[in-house]
Amino acid sequence: MLKHLFKLIWNKKKENFLLISEILISFMVIFAVFTLLVYNYQNYAVPKGFEEENVWSVDLGELNVSKNKDSVGVLHENLRNVLKNLPEVKAISYASANVPFSNSMFTSGTGYKGIRINVDVNRVEDDYKQVLGLSLLSGRWFSPEDNGLAKSTVILNEEAKERLFGKEDAIGKMISDGSSKVIGVIQNLKDKSDFKAPMPAIYTRIDTGKINQMNQILVRVAPGTTAAFEGKMYKMIASTIKSTNLEIKHLSDMKAEKNKETIIPMIIFFIVTGFLIINVALGIFGVLWYNINKRRAEIGLRRAIGATSSAVSTQLLGEALVIATFSLIIGSFFAVQFPLMKVFDLPTSVYLLAQFFAILFIYLLVVICALYPGKQAAAIYPAVALHEE
Amino acid sequence: MFKNYFKIAIAVLKRRKFFTFISLFGISFTLTILMVLTSFIEVMLSPNYPDVNRDRELFITRVELRSSKEDYTMMGALNFYLVNNFIAKMKTPEKIAMHSNRSTTNAYPNNKKLSVDLMYTNLAFWEVYQFKFLMGKPFSEQQLKNAEQVVVISEDLGNNYFGEGVSALGKEIEFNNLRYKVIGVVKTAPATVFYAASDIYLPYTLDVSTSGGTSLMGSYLVTLLAKSADDLPVMQEEYQQLLKRVPHPEENEELLFSYADTYLESFTRYVLGKGVASGRDQFFLILSAVIFVFLLLPTVNLMNINVSRIMERSSEIGVRKAFGASSRTLVGQFLVENLILTLLGGLMGLFMAMATISILNSSGLIANLDLKINFIVVCYSLLACLVFGLMSGVYPAWRMSKLNVVTALKANN
Repeated sequence: MLKHLFKLIWNKKKENFLLISEILISFMVIFAVFTLLVYNYQNYAVPKGFEEENVWSVDLGELNVSKNKDSVGVLHENLRNVLKNLPEVKAISYASANVPFSNSMFTSGTGYKGIRINVDVNRVEDDYKQVLGLSLLSGRWFSPEDNGLAKSTVILNEEAKERLFGKEDAIGKMISDGSSKVIGVIQNLKDKSDFKAPMPAIYTRIDTGKINQMNQILVRVAPGTTAAFEGKMYKMIASTIKSTNLEIKHLSDMKAEKNKETIIPMIIFFIVTGFLIINVALGIFGVLWYNINKRRAEIGLRRAIGATSSAVSTQLLGEALVIATFSLIIGSFFAVQFPLMKVFDLPTSVYLLAQFFAILFIYLLVVICALYPGKQAAAIYPAVALHEE
Repeated sequence: MFKNYFKIAIAVLKRRKFFTFISLFGISFTLTILMVLTSFIEVMLSPNYPDVNRDRELFITRVELRSSKEDYTMMGALNFYLVNNFIAKMKTPEKIAMHSNRSTTNAYPNNKKLSVDLMYTNLAFWEVYQFKFLMGKPFSEQQLKNAEQVVVISEDLGNNYFGEGVSALGKEIEFNNLRYKVIGVVKTAPATVFYAASDIYLPYTLDVSTSGGTSLMGSYLVTLLAKSADDLPVMQEEYQQLLKRVPHPEENEELLFSYADTYLESFTRYVLGKGVASGRDQFFLILSAVIFVFLLLPTVNLMNINVSRIMERSSEIGVRKAFGASSRTLVGQFLVENLILTLLGGLMGLFMAMATISILNSSGLIANLDLKINFIVVCYSLLACLVFGLMSGVYPAWRMSKLNVVTALKANN
C-alpha cells in the first residue's frame, strides 16, 4: 500500500514539486520556532537559585569626593551604618557593578590543572548570601575568618565547579595558578534573565581595603515596603555620600526588563510565523481540494469497483502524508546539519527535540488540511462522477 | 486590452471565492509585515524630530585604545578633555554638539517613584538638534559659564513630575538630592532618536566628571553638523588627521581608533564593524537576506495556488491558443491578472499596515514611537507588490504556456 502511494506521488513529482518545496520551507521555519521554544523553555525550567523579591539595587553613581582611598572607605562604612539602622532594611551587601539583571559584565579567566575557563567574577560581602537567599551546596560561605588570609578565598557556582573539577571535590583546592582557595560551592544563580542559562561564576570577598571601589549596594527590605520609604532612603544615601546619578532599582523590575529582551522578539517572531503557517495551511488545503476535484473520475471509478468511502479518504490522506514525508526527509537532512556543524552554540538535545516537534507539527498540519478534502472525496457518488465523464 | 484583462481578472477572482481569499490573505499579510518593517526602518534612520539635520551629521560615539600587541582593548565614549581640547577645534563642521551618555536616576515627587534619564549638553546641542520648546528656552552662555542649577525638561517628565497641565516653567525639580530650576520644556524626543532622547538636559558645567584629567575615555558623544552633505567625507578626513595629534602615551594604549560615522554606520560599526569598514554594507546584505527568506514561503504558496487556478482554466487557454493566441500573449495576460490580484492584496495590506502601526504607536511598547506611512514607504511597498506578483506569476504562466492545445481542450469537457 505504502509502496503504491510512493509510486503514485513519484509519477506526479512534477505536479507535486511546488507542494513539496512549500512544506519543506514550512518545516524549516517551524524547526526554527521550536528550536527557540525548546531552548528558552529549557532555560526557563532551570531553578533560579536565589530570591529577587524585595531586593533593591542601589547604584551609588559617581562619587563626588576626592580620590583619597581612606576617606571613600569611611564614607562607605558610614553609609552601611545608616542603612543598617533602618528597621525596614533586613540585610545589605556592597557588590561589584555586575549585580543580578544589571547590564554590567565582569569576566575573567581562571583555571585548574590545565583547564582554563572564563568566569563571571562577582565581588561580594559576607551578607550577600542572606540578601539574595543563596543555597550552599558544599563547603561554607564567606565569614570574618577570611580576614587577612595570605591566599584569597573564593566560592564557585555549580557550573564553574562542574567545568573545572567535574565530579571531583572542589573544597580546599587552589585555582587560578594557586592564587585563590575554593571554600564553597553554591547553587547556580540564573542572574542574567529567566531565559538565560547560568554561566560559570566565581564569588570573591571584598576586603576592607577595596571597599572604596564598590559603588553598588544590594539591600533586602521587609516585604510591603513603600515608595515613600524608598524616597526617604534615597535622601539618606544622597546626603551621606555626595554623588551624582544615584539610582535605586528593584531587582524584580530589572528582571522583568531583562526578560522583555527575550520575550518581545519571540512574540513578534511567533506572530509572524503564526500567520505564515495559517497562510501555508490554507494553501495546502486549497491545492489538495483542487486536486481531488480534478480526480473525480478516478475516485468515482474506484468507488464503482468496490472501494469503501473510508478507503478513498485514507488513500488521499496517505498521499498527502507521503508528500509531507518527502519534504521532511529533505528538511531533516538540513536540520541535522545544525547540531553536526555546531552552527549556533546550542546543546544537541535542543535541536533533536525541536526537530521531533517540527516533524510532528508538519504531519499534524497536513492531516488537518487533508481531512476535509478527503471526506469530500469519500462522499463522491460513483454514478454521478462517472456520468460526468 | 488592459480593460479586458481587468474584467477577466475580476471575473476569475469572483469564481472561486475561497482561492481568492487565500491569495489575498497571503499577499496582504506579507505586505503588511513588510510595510511595518519599512516604516520602522524609516523612523529609525531618516531625519526625525528633533534630529532633523541627520543628512549632514556625523556622530562620534566612541574611542578605542589598543596595545600594539593587540592583546588589550579598551573602548568607551569620549572624555570631555578630548572633545574640548581637540574636537571642538575642528574647522569643517558648521556646529559641534556635545552631550553626555544618557544616565538614569530617580526622583520622588509626592512619594511617587520616577525613573528619569538625564544628559549634560553644550550650547550647540540646541542648535544641531531642533527641539520644539513648548515653554521657556535653552540655557544661555552666561548660565552655562556660571554653572547655574538650571535644566530643560521633556514634556512627559513635566507631566509626570508636576502633574498634567501644570506649567513647569520656573518651578524647581529635585533629583540627586539637589534642586534645579526648570527654564525650558521641550516636546519629548522619541526613544527611537537614540542619542539625543532624554528627560532632563543640564549644562555640562554641572557635570563633575568634566573636571581635569587627560584620559580619552569618558561619557561624552559628539555630533558634527556639516554645512552640506557633501562636506561629510572632508569632515571624516579631518577627524582622522586630528586623531594623529591626540597624545595617548600610556602603556598598552599605543593604538587609537575612532570614527566619525553617519547615523546608521554608528550602529552597524558597533555590531558588524571591522577595522575601517563600518559594516553598513553587511547590514544591508543581512537585511535583504532576511526579507528574501521571509518572502519565499508566501511566494511559493501563491505560486502553488496560481498553478491550480490556471490549470482550472485549461479549456479557456486551449480555445485561445486554438484561435491563434501566442504563448507570449497568454503569459502577458496571466501576469497582468496576477499583478492586479497582488495590487488588490497590496491595497488591503496598506490598510492593515495602517491599523497595525496605529496600534503599535499607541501601545507604548516604545516610548513616543511615531511610525508613519509616508510616500516613500508606499513606494517601497508598491515595488514589493510588483516583485511579489511577478515572482509568483512567472512560473505558473510558464507552465500554462507549455500546455498542449489538444490536451487542454480535451482535459476539460
